[in-house]
Amino acid sequence: MNLQKWGALLVLSVFICLSFRQVQEDLFVKPKHFPEPHYNFKENPLTEKGVQLGKALFFDAMLSKDNTISCGSCHQQSSGFTQHGHALSHGVDDLLTQRNSMPVQNMAWFPDFGWDGGVPHLDLFAISPIQKENEMGETLPNVLEKLRATEHYPKMFQEAFGDKSITTEHFLKAISQYMLTLVSANSAYDKYQNGNKAALNETELQGLAVFNQKCATCHSGELFSDFSHRNNGVKGEDGEDTGREAITLSDKDKYKFRVPSLRNVAVTFPYMHDGSIETLEEVLDHYTNLPVKSPYLDPVLKSGISLTDGEKKSVLAFLNALTDQDFLTNPRFAEPGADIVVASEFKGDWEKTDFGKLDIGVQKALLETLGKYISIKNALGEQDGKTSAVAAAEMQAAFKKVRKEALTPLQTSFFTKIGADLAFDIEHIQETNDYKHQLDHFKYVSVGLYKLVKAFKVKTEQPLLYVYCSEADRKKGGYWLNEQEKVLVNPYLGKKNKCSEVKERL
Amino acid sequence: MNKSIFFFLLLAGFYGFGQNKNTGSVVLRFDNVAGNEDLVLKDKLYTNGAGESFNVSLFQYFVSNIKLQKADGKEYVLPQDESYFLVRESNPQSQVITIPNVPKGKYVGVSFVIGVDSLRNTKDISERKGTLDVGGEAKDMYWSWNSGYIHLKLEGTSPNIKVDSVRKSQRYAYHIGLFGGYNKPTLNNVRTAAIAFGGESVKVSKSDTPEIKIEADILRILNGPTTLSIVKNPSVMASPISQKVADNYVNLFQYKGVTRVAGTTAKSSSGDSGKTE
Repeated sequence: MNLQKWGALLVLSVFICLSFRQVQEDLFVKPKHFPEPHYNFKENPLTEKGVQLGKALFFDAMLSKDNTISCGSCHQQSSGFTQHGHALSHGVDDLLTQRNSMPVQNMAWFPDFGWDGGVPHLDLFAISPIQKENEMGETLPNVLEKLRATEHYPKMFQEAFGDKSITTEHFLKAISQYMLTLVSANSAYDKYQNGNKAALNETELQGLAVFNQKCATCHSGELFSDFSHRNNGVKGEDGEDTGREAITLSDKDKYKFRVPSLRNVAVTFPYMHDGSIETLEEVLDHYTNLPVKSPYLDPVLKSGISLTDGEKKSVLAFLNALTDQDFLTNPRFAEPGADIVVASEFKGDWEKTDFGKLDIGVQKALLETLGKYISIKNALGEQDGKTSAVAAAEMQAAFKKVRKEALTPLQTSFFTKIGADLAFDIEHIQETNDYKHQLDHFKYVSVGLYKLVKAFKVKTEQPLLYVYCSEADRKKGGYWLNEQEKVLVNPYLGKKNKCSEVKERL
Repeated sequence: MNKSIFFFLLLAGFYGFGQNKNTGSVVLRFDNVAGNEDLVLKDKLYTNGAGESFNVSLFQYFVSNIKLQKADGKEYVLPQDESYFLVRESNPQSQVITIPNVPKGKYVGVSFVIGVDSLRNTKDISERKGTLDVGGEAKDMYWSWNSGYIHLKLEGTSPNIKVDSVRKSQRYAYHIGLFGGYNKPTLNNVRTAAIAFGGESVKVSKSDTPEIKIEADILRILNGPTTLSIVKNPSVMASPISQKVADNYVNLFQYKGVTRVAGTTAKSSSGDSGKTE
């Protein structure tokens, strides 16, 4: 080989090296104000193809026993990669998971994973949900076999790892690659930390000060967690889940769970390892009214946390400033093929907003959607899961008739905010015939639909009632929309149950 | 080609050369028994020290980190990456482990870890291949929720277990794992078996391939320093009592003699993939 060729080769290889590095840096950027990541990227360098493959796997239901549940089923982007509104999630065969779905974000900084920290390496994590019988209920060897039998996956593995023979190592590393790109570091709080002092308002700043004084012992640092396991006074309904103790077998670890990161906390409700607390307000109330006599309670909480009402307000404002809209709507992270509308997020008070005149076609589609909703409600009142599933499929079809092009920008922003979750919950009702599972989703469909109908002033033929029953959903309470005043059908507790309180007439 | 495979082949090539004069092979043949009887899956009932009857539907264990002791006190240590074997009662081929490249000489004993050592339990996924592949051969010997390999598994049923509303079947299952924990200590059930060849000295050379018979008596899992009752402990997994089971099974293996394998040529039974079949 002559000198010229050597030279060309050298230039080419330098170019290849540089472009490779370039790709990797784009895929994972350490935010300036974050500490060094825990994950060793040298073991698994991120590449565009690797991340793409990981994302395809993350959202592929083939990873579950009956091909119905993907990682993304319980880790939805718009809810900070948790499951929207679910205390516990439903795995295959409608089995309930043991614990609340955890956010998948900033994984590179975590030393171990899960509420009990039983898995010490991100690459080893995915095996656990895949193989748990109440989550995806599959075996890893079966998953690999299914992937090998497809046309596209061997190709994708070849492109990502230079080997089309789908191995355990490459499978797990690909999923890690995608998860590692999920970095959330652009909330109002982050902007403030990075020098934009106007990013937080006065209340939020007061909240930050109170937070640092009273919460940051455990929720410390830029990840808002010291990554320890502690008991915070939540023991679970039956106390059967002993948390970290199951891993260490040490009595001292009984009822201890991961101190969670608080990034995007406003959208990851409900809270705690068992999802037993629904709102952030109630979380703060929990800490001010701690069962201080519990022998398991963490020592730093022994004297409780005192917060005045004013302090609570400011802390709540601060916690809301940890929401990172860029992260929650970034199309790069989104489920392939998902209809992500990056519309400007509606931020105002919807009840005080005039959304203007509604397009006749949209009015018609929403009215039809509402009609199908009423069918679901009546079927649930009969505890007839089959009929409600059919009605949900019809509701889904009706809801899809809403032409987004016919909406004004203001209407679009609100419709996007409500619509995505609504569509998700409707879909889940039609996916099962178990009315109990359907009710978990019906609860959110009711609230979402109520907001849409009210905000857009959808005209109905007969008066529509917004009804509440405090005993619904294991006494957490639940709303529904009812079409007539004389016969109220309680979808949560059955036709004959009289638990109902008319909250509003539309 | 994957760099590590290439490197391995290169190494294997060198070993191949070395094989000629100065090394030979040793075969370890594992025979699973129950007291004086050969172990038969499902169809036979055995009695433990607590006087309970039980059958065995599944019995398997890892054998790793094999070391052969010479008469002069020196040791031959199998290369780490080739030293993980999974012995399954249901798979006769898995019960025969051939160790290649053993320096010629006289050997008086063998030792190995019953299970998977703590260090390997903490390794990156790229170092969990062959018998250690959690998406392959090791699929049923790994806890994914409490990351770690299961060292030994014994399952079956006992007619002495009373079925009621709590206990819905007569099944029992002993899954012994735990290696000491990653970032917080927990039980360490890694045990090492040391087996002397009964005062004999076993010759290894290019033309002498000894086959060493090792018996694993399942009764020794239940009877030992602790007499375990299957009825009282039908399910032992990640729990404190697992330590007692491991303290029992440290004496699981016994030397039962040596035979010569006629006309054997050494061949790797583990290789890069670590396969035992």
